[in-house]
Parts: sequence; C-alpha cells; structure tokens
Amino acid sequence: MKLTPREKQIQARMQPGAITINGFLGDDERHFHEIISDDRRTLERLGITAQELADKMKYLTDRAFDNYDETMIVEEIYEVSYNTVRGRLICPFMHPGSYRKGEVVVKNLKNNLTVKWTPLSVHMIEVHGFFEGKGSKNRIEPEILYRVLFGN
Amino acid sequence: MVAIVTTVAVLSGLTGFLALLLILAESVVANYGECTIEINKKKKLEVIGGSSLLSLLDEHGIYLASACGGRGSCGYCKCTVLDGGGPVLPTEKPFLSIEEQEADVRLACQIKVKNDIFIKIPEEIFNIQQYKATVQKIIDLTYDIKELHLKLFEPPEINFKAGQYVQLQTPAYEKSRQPVSRAYSISSSPEHNDHIELIIRRVPDGICTTYVFDYLREGDSIEFTGPFGDFYIRETEADMIFVAGGSGKAPIKAMVELLHSQNSRRRMAYLFGARTKKDLYYTELFDEFQKKMQNFTFVPILSNPEEDSEWKGKTGFIPAYLNDYIKDPEKTEAYLCGSPGMIAAVEKKLLELNIPKDKIYYDSFA
Amino acid sequence: MEISPLIIFLAAIFTSNILLTNFLGMCSYLSVSRQIESSFGLGLAVFFVLTLTTAINYVVYHYLLIPFDLVYLRYIIFIVVIAAFVQLTEMVIERISPVLYYTLGIFLPLITVNCAILGVSLFMVIRDYNFLQSVLFGAGSGLGWLLAILALAGIRERIRYKFVPVGLQGAGMSLIVTGIMALAFIGFSGIVVIQ
Repeated sequence: MKLTPREKQIQARMQPGAITINGFLGDDERHFHEIISDDRRTLERLGITAQELADKMKYLTDRAFDNYDETMIVEEIYEVSYNTVRGRLICPFMHPGSYRKGEVVVKNLKNNLTVKWTPLSVHMIEVHGFFEGKGSKNRIEPEILYRVLFGN
Repeated sequence: MVAIVTTVAVLSGLTGFLALLLILAESVVANYGECTIEINKKKKLEVIGGSSLLSLLDEHGIYLASACGGRGSCGYCKCTVLDGGGPVLPTEKPFLSIEEQEADVRLACQIKVKNDIFIKIPEEIFNIQQYKATVQKIIDLTYDIKELHLKLFEPPEINFKAGQYVQLQTPAYEKSRQPVSRAYSISSSPEHNDHIELIIRRVPDGICTTYVFDYLREGDSIEFTGPFGDFYIRETEADMIFVAGGSGKAPIKAMVELLHSQNSRRRMAYLFGARTKKDLYYTELFDEFQKKMQNFTFVPILSNPEEDSEWKGKTGFIPAYLNDYIKDPEKTEAYLCGSPGMIAAVEKKLLELNIPKDKIYYDSFA
Repeated sequence: MEISPLIIFLAAIFTSNILLTNFLGMCSYLSVSRQIESSFGLGLAVFFVLTLTTAINYVVYHYLLIPFDLVYLRYIIFIVVIAAFVQLTEMVIERISPVLYYTLGIFLPLITVNCAILGVSLFMVIRDYNFLQSVLFGAGSGLGWLLAILALAGIRERIRYKFVPVGLQGAGMSLIVTGIMALAFIGFSGIVVIQ
C-alpha cells in the first residue's frame, strides 16, 4: 500500500525507541491504518464508539487524579489507581500537543477484569481510534476495555 | 562514432551548465549573508544566515529549552521576536495562543534567520550551558530509584539555585535510535559547584530511565544542559513547608542541604508522602537534618503501609497533616514538588488554611 | 503555423485546457486542491515554470538539438531543463514566501514530474510553434491549469461537509467532479483551431 511521506513519518514514530522504548506496534506486521480499521470493526460489533470509551476513560482518569494519585473506588464498581511520572509525551500522529506520562489501572470489581492506560492512549483512542498493535505492551484490547468500563 | 560523442557532449554539457547555474543561483538567492541577532537590546551575535534561530543561538552558547531537538514538535523553544522574524509559519501556529501571537512570541526552531533579527529572552537563559560530566557514582536508593553523582569536566563548574533542574541527554543506544533529553531536578546543594547529584526513578518503557538503569556505568560520560526552572528558595525569614512525594524529594533535598549549611533558623517542616515502607529513602539523612537543625521537622507519611512492616509513623495523606505544621499562615511559604494531582490537592488545602496563593511555589511533574 | 499567438494563449486557457481537455497534470492537481490558498500558490508556481521552461526548451530544441541532429534526445533534455528550473523556483519561493514553501511541502519539487510541463514542451515541438507562439502557449497552459485547480479547490471546499459515500471520499469524488468539468469543456473542442 502506498504511503504518503507523512504516514511514513507516523509509522517511524511508532517504532521502538522513537517516542517510547517499546514503541506502539509491538510485533504487529500490519500498518497502523489496518490496525485502526480492524479495531473499528470490533467496536462496531460490540456496538460502542471510540468516543464513548474515551469519555469513560477520561472520567475515571480525572476522578483518580483528583484523589491524589492513590487507589480509590469509583461508583462502587471500579477500583482505579493512577501513578504519574514527570514529563510529557508527544503523539506519534504528528500534531502538536503533549500528554502527561503515567499509568491508570482500572479493575472492574464485578467481573474482575483489569485494564491499563495512559493519558496518551486515551487521546489516541479518542481522536485516532488507535489501540496500538498486537504484541505491544500497552495495547488495549477493545473488547476487554469495553467489558471493564461497561460490563457486568 | 561522431554521433555518440556529440550526444554525450551535448547532454553532459547542458546538464553541467544547468548545474552550474543552480549553484550560482543558490549562492545568490539562498545566501543570506551575515546577519546580526540582537538579544534583549544588549547582546549582539554576528551569524551566517540560513539556519534556524534555535540552532544559531545554540551554536553561540545560548540554549533555549527544546525537548524535540528543533523539529517543531514540543513547543518549548518560545521566544519573543521584536523584529525581523518574518510571518508566523503554519508549523508554529498550533503552539501559540492568540495572546502569544499578538505579543510576538514565536518558535525559535521554525524561524529561519535571513536578515537582522531582534529578540527578547528571559535573563536566566544566559546562565544555561551545555555540560559534559563523568558518572562518579550510581547508588540504589530503593527498588526503583537511583542516585547519580555526576562530576563536571567541561565546563568544570555550574552555578545554580537549589530547586532547579537540568535536561539530561541520553545518546542513541540499542533501544533508542536518537538522543533524547529528560528533566531531572538537582538534588545536591549549590555550594558544591563541581558536581551535581540527580535522583532518577525508573519509568516502565522510559527511554531515558532505561538507559540510566540498564546501560549507564560508573566512569561513563554524559551530557546535560541547564540549569532551568524557577523553583527555588525565596530569601525571606518566613516559615517553610516542603511537600514532596517519590522522586520529588530531589529539589527539596538540595534546598534543605543548603539551608542546613547556611545555619538557617527558619522554621521548616518537610512532609514526604509515599505508599509503602519500601518507597521511603533518605530517611536517615533527614532524621540527621532534624537533629542538627533547630527548627526542621521531617514528617514521612505512608498511605498504604503493609501490615507487617511495623510502621509507627503517620499514615494517610498529606493534606490532613498540614495544619499541624503551620503556625502563622501569613508568614508561611510552601514549596511543593510532585505529580500535578498531589500538588492540586495540597494547594487546595493550603489555601483553605489561609496560606497566600503567591507564597505557594511548585515544580510540577507535568 | 499561421495561428495568432494571442489566439493560442486564450485557447490554451479555455478551449484546449491542458488539464480538462488534454488530462495532463492530474497528480498534484488532485492532492493540493484541498485548500484554495495552497492551490493558488501551486497554480502560480506551475504557471511560472510552464512559461519559462517552454521558452527555454524552445531555444534548446531549435538551437542545440536540431543543429546537432540530436532531436531524439528531446525527452531527456526537456526533463533535465524542467528539473533545474523547478529547483530554482523552489529556492526563490523559499526566500520570498516561507509560508507558501511550507504549505506546498513536497508538491513543489513534484512539479518536475508533472506531465503537463513536459506535455506542453512536447506539444510545442509537435505543433511546430515559433518562439512567440511557444511562450504564449506555455503561459496560457499555466493559467489554464491554475484555473482548473482553483475550480476544483472551490468545489471541494463546498462539498467538504456534505454527504459523500465512503468509497468515493477524497480522490474518487474529485475525479468525478473533474470528469464533469471536463465534459463541460468538451463543448469547446474544435471551436478554436490551434494545431
């Protein structure tokens, strides 16, 4: 598939060592466009949009942030903890803006599933529909995310 | 035969002629000659035009902050261009607010110097330099925090204020294809100006911390620029409350060390928040300070001590204990260092306790 | 050829439009026509390059290739001249208007392989125009290309927020629109004879 120079640059920024040590693609051979469209099909099957997932993620992140970076229970269903570190990361999709570093861990106490995300991954899901490549340490499986955020 | 020679001659002749024309054109059109950069209406630099403002300033020893190396992705290299910068480029606009654009703020990495240019930068930037240092010691403080001792060799001395930070540069290495720079606060007192200490906490997937933890060895050399930041001790006699968590202890340690050697009699309390006992470090050091300094109290607070850790100190969260250490809110300064969530929560409590907002100073992680 | 250069100039803009009638120069036309400002900038650059390269190629063809019996080299030589000229144009644009330079990005050097430029030089040779006719033909074709790209950019801005079937978004719809514009221009064919 022919790539524009911009897409080549985005693909380069997703490689290990460019923005983060392990990159955003893991051992996935597919191009990021394919990853995004495959995940979009999964979302359609689940009947949810990336925006709805991102809104819930932002809500939980904000609640954890306000609570001083410690573990807390939200709405009696979610156990949320947020660990920030210094500095900000830029988005591989080559637009201005930087995002806090840090990890949010959410456990759904009803079904015991856990999912982890960072403020950058929330942005990438909301604006780009990108959940990272298979095999990437920080890939968020749309199905698991859905079941943690909305499932019983 | 003649035909082949003529063909080759004509083709090469024409191509050569055009190439020559282009070289000539480039030296005329793209040659910007000598230009002058005038800084803050007093310092003048004579430079050869054609490169970016950021790199030309860099070449002359003036280091504007940059996290992306001049590629236009971070927006840190802002400076005020009074005249000579040309129109604002589309690559700059996303980083500049309307007010900034009206105030002539530009991104130095995107401006190509083609004529005399007049700029304004904060005075502190003149003090920022590039330093080369050798790693003297690497000490493990906890399971995920290391202390680095860096001895400067070029230039051999640094002048900084306790509380400032440096941008440490990691070279390209096995896992990272290009150099990156990351900010770390200096944890040693500014009285020692031939070396600095840094406290570095491991970030999973972090390019710089992976290098420091897995690749850097004692004896290696490393570079950094600095000092940066406006987090420093205000020279007053007011009481001081220090609040930090995790690796936020670094600038506080520098400040307390300095105050100790100045024999300061100011009333100080340092509230250090951590989760469990294994996140504590420098406990003995601060207990020492507490003994040696008349008015210094060290208050470690654990939010999640494990049952079997025999923790007898305070538990819970910092805001609940602040009131115990504030005697006269009007005459108290607060110095906060840590994650934005912690700072927001502590600041809220401090304002409730009537600490004046302009006496709350912080070094926020993000 | 006895056609008035002025007629050739006007015909090249309207009735024998290099893009809408001869369908040359489509690639950067389709990519850059997203925005009216950059389309205008690119169109001007193409106009500038077309006019001057046609003139230079005329001189090179008639005073270098023909005397030395090297007519078969015209393809290579024309491209070399065009490439050098586009480089020069890049330098000038970077100096005069860095904003335009950044907006056009990679499409500025891509003018070199814009088939309209080579096409106009070759038409000049095939139709055996004299110098004045060639220059005006080049200028007219440039203006015609500018006209076409501005028209498409205007239409694309209008349809940006309208419904377009997913499969046709982007290049698909642009090509359909171009085809419809070209259909309109077919109406002009044969009105003015310039070859």
